[in-house]
Amino acid sequence: MNEGLYWQGMTLLDFARGPAFRWSVAIFIVGVIWRLTMLILAKRKRLEPPKGAPVAGGTKAVATRSTPPGELYGGLTTLLTRSAPAHELEKNIVFQHYSGYAWHISMFIILFLGTPHMLFFADILGFTWPTLPGWIITFFTVITMGILLVLFARRLMNPVLRKISTWDDYISWVIAFLPFLTGFMSVAHLTPFMDYETMLGLHFLSVCALLIWFPFGKLMHALVIWPSRYKVGAAFARRGVRA
Amino acid sequence: MAASNTVGDVLRANGVSRRGFMKFCAATASMMALPPSMVSAVAAAIDSAKRPSVFWLPFQECTGCTEALTRSHTPTVENLIFDAISLDYHHTLMAASGDRAEEAMYEEMEKNYGNYLLLVDGSIPTGDYENYSCTNGHSHLSMLLKAAKGAAAIVSIGTCAAYGGIPKANPNPTQAVGVQDLIKDKPIINVPGCPPVPTVMTGVLAHYLTFGTIPELDKFGRPMAFFGQSIHDRCYRRTFYDRGMFAETFDDEGAKKGYCLFKVGCKGPVTYNACATLKWNDGVSWPVQSGHGCLGCSEPDFWDKGSFYRPLSAAYWGDAKTVGISAAAGAAAGLAAAALARGKQKKAQQQEEQA
Amino acid sequence: MSGLSEIGVKVESGDAQEPELRGNTLPLLHEIHHALERLVASNEPTVIDVQSLPMGPGDLERLMSALGDGEVRAELEALGTTVIRESRFSGVWIIENLNGKGGVASRFIEITWVPELLQAQAEDVQKGLTELAGALASAGN
Repeated sequence: MNEGLYWQGMTLLDFARGPAFRWSVAIFIVGVIWRLTMLILAKRKRLEPPKGAPVAGGTKAVATRSTPPGELYGGLTTLLTRSAPAHELEKNIVFQHYSGYAWHISMFIILFLGTPHMLFFADILGFTWPTLPGWIITFFTVITMGILLVLFARRLMNPVLRKISTWDDYISWVIAFLPFLTGFMSVAHLTPFMDYETMLGLHFLSVCALLIWFPFGKLMHALVIWPSRYKVGAAFARRGVRA
Repeated sequence: MAASNTVGDVLRANGVSRRGFMKFCAATASMMALPPSMVSAVAAAIDSAKRPSVFWLPFQECTGCTEALTRSHTPTVENLIFDAISLDYHHTLMAASGDRAEEAMYEEMEKNYGNYLLLVDGSIPTGDYENYSCTNGHSHLSMLLKAAKGAAAIVSIGTCAAYGGIPKANPNPTQAVGVQDLIKDKPIINVPGCPPVPTVMTGVLAHYLTFGTIPELDKFGRPMAFFGQSIHDRCYRRTFYDRGMFAETFDDEGAKKGYCLFKVGCKGPVTYNACATLKWNDGVSWPVQSGHGCLGCSEPDFWDKGSFYRPLSAAYWGDAKTVGISAAAGAAAGLAAAALARGKQKKAQQQEEQA
Repeated sequence: MSGLSEIGVKVESGDAQEPELRGNTLPLLHEIHHALERLVASNEPTVIDVQSLPMGPGDLERLMSALGDGEVRAELEALGTTVIRESRFSGVWIIENLNGKGGVASRFIEITWVPELLQAQAEDVQKGLTELAGALASAGN
C-alpha cells in the first residue's frame, strides 16, 4: 500500500495525513514512554525507615501507616482527591478550576464524540462507538475556543500570572488552540486565502504539532498528573498529615 | 470537411427546423450548466459560430473515456454536437482505416493550423519509457508534441490525460505524465474523471462551440461550471451526514436506508465533479446513490491516496510495528534517564549523609 | 490489504426499502408556486432545468406525481421526440426530450402561457410560406 510514502505531486493534505502523521505519532510515543518511564522509576527519598510488622487496629489502621499497603491506598485516593481544590484555596481558584473543568469536558466531547475523530480512533482500536451530530460538536468547539481566549487574556492581564508565565505556557496555549481553530474553520468552510483541502491539511498538521510538543511541554500534564499524584499521595500517607 | 460553414448553416442544411434548433440550444445550455434564461443568447451564439475542426488522439488509456462518450444514450443531442463540431479524426474509431486515415489527419491539421481543437485521452509515457505507448510506430509523446503545435486549445479528457491517472500511480513504471506537464504554451482544459461524466465532456465542447473561448478554469485547470462544487456539497445524502446518520458497512440497516457513506470511505468532501447532479447514464444513478462512496476519481493522484474504504479522517498513523519500535526506543531512553537520575540522587544522598 | 477483508458483505435479494429522504420535491413545488404567481402578476415566464438539481431516488417520481396530468399533451418531432404536456396546474408545462431509446434525456418545467417550443417559429413560418407559394405556383396559378 502507498500509505505514508511520498509520491510526486503530493498535496499538503496528503503529506499531513501521511508521512507527517506517522512521524508525529512515533515522536509522541517515544517522548511519552521516555518521560513516564523516567518519572515512575525515579527514586523518591524516604525520610524514615518504613514500619515493619502489622499493627493492631485492623486493615484500616494498617492502610494508613507508612507500610507499602498504606502507600498504595494513599496513592490511589490522592488520584481522586486532587481533582477537587483544597478547601482552604477554593475561593481563590474557583474561576480557574471550573473553567478548567468546562474546557476539559468540552474537549473530550469533541475528541471522542465527534464522528471524524471517532473514525480516526476506530482505525487504531478496531471498534466504533456512537457519536453526536456535527452541530453539537461545533457548539462545543466554540465554547472551547472561547474559554482558551478568556484564559489567555487573563494570563496576560493578571500581574502574577504574567510574571510566572514561561514560553512553555504560551507555546502550549497556541498548540492547544490551533486544532480547534483549524477544525472549526474546516467544518465551517471558512478558508481565507486557501481552499478547503489546505485548511483540512492544516488541521491535521496542527494535531501533528500537538503530538510532537505534547511529551515535552506542559501539555504532558494529561499523563503526568497520574503518577505524580500517586507518588505524592504515597509519600504523605502516614499518620497525622492529610495529603 | 471545410470549417467555413457556421454551425447554424450545418444544422439547417441537415433539415433541422427552428424548433429543432431551439431544442438543441436548450439542451446545449443545460449541458453547459447555464440557466434556461440564457438559451436565447446561446442560440444566437451557436447560430453564427464557425464550425471548428476537432481531432481526438488516444494515448496510454483504457478507452473508457471514448466508451463513455460514444455509448451515450442521447444520440440525438450529443451526436449532434459532434456532428456540429466535425470530429475529423478519432484514432480508435478510425483504426480500421489505418495509414490513410492518419495521413488525412495530418493534412487536416495543416489546413486548419492554429485553429483546431485537440482532444486527448490517456497519459503519455516519457523518458526511457517513451516507446511503451505507440501508434503506428510513432510514440505518443512525439504525436502529442507534433499535434499540439497547431492547436488552438487542448482538452485533456479523463484523469489520465489531465493528471497522469492510473499509469502514473506509484511507482509509475512508464514515467507517465498528463498533457499539462508536457505542453506549456497552449490553453489546456482538463476534464478529469475516471471516466468523466459524458455530459460534462460534451458540455465543455458545447461551450467552446458556442463562445469560441475556453470556460473559466479552477486551480487544477477544470471548468468551474462542472468542477466548482464538491460532491459533498451537492450530495443528496448530505443531511444524513449533518445529522450523524451513517452506514457502518455496505449491508447494514443504515446502508439500506441510504445513510451517509463517510464511514465506509467516501471521498466526497475533497472531490470536485458534477456526478452528484448530472449523474451517469443520462441521470440513472451515480456511485453514492448506488451505495458506494465516492472514489475521488477527478482529483490528481487519487490512486495514491490510500484505501477507498478508509474514512477521510483516518490518518495514516503508522502500524503496530512502528508503535512497537517507538515504544521500545522510548523505554530505552526512559530507563537510561531513570538510571542517570537515580545515580544522581544516590550521590546526593551519600553527600548529605557524609555532611 | 487488511482493510478490504474487514468489509462485511452479504448478498441478499429482497424488496428495496423506501428511501427516507424527501429532499427536493417540496422546495421545487414551492418554486413552481412562486413562478406561477410571477406569471400572473407580471407576465414573466420561468423555466426550470430539472436535470441540474440534485435529486435523490424517488424525488423525481414524487414531483411528477404531484404535478399530475392536465388537458394538453403534444408530441414534437424535431431532432428526436419531445413530449410537451400541461400538468394539472394550468400554466405549468412539463417538457421532456426523449432520447432514441424511449427514455427521457432531459426535462424542463416551463411556467408560461404557451411553451416556446409549441409556438410556430418565425423562421419556419417564413420557410413554410415560401414552400406553399412554390407548391401553389407549380400546381398552376
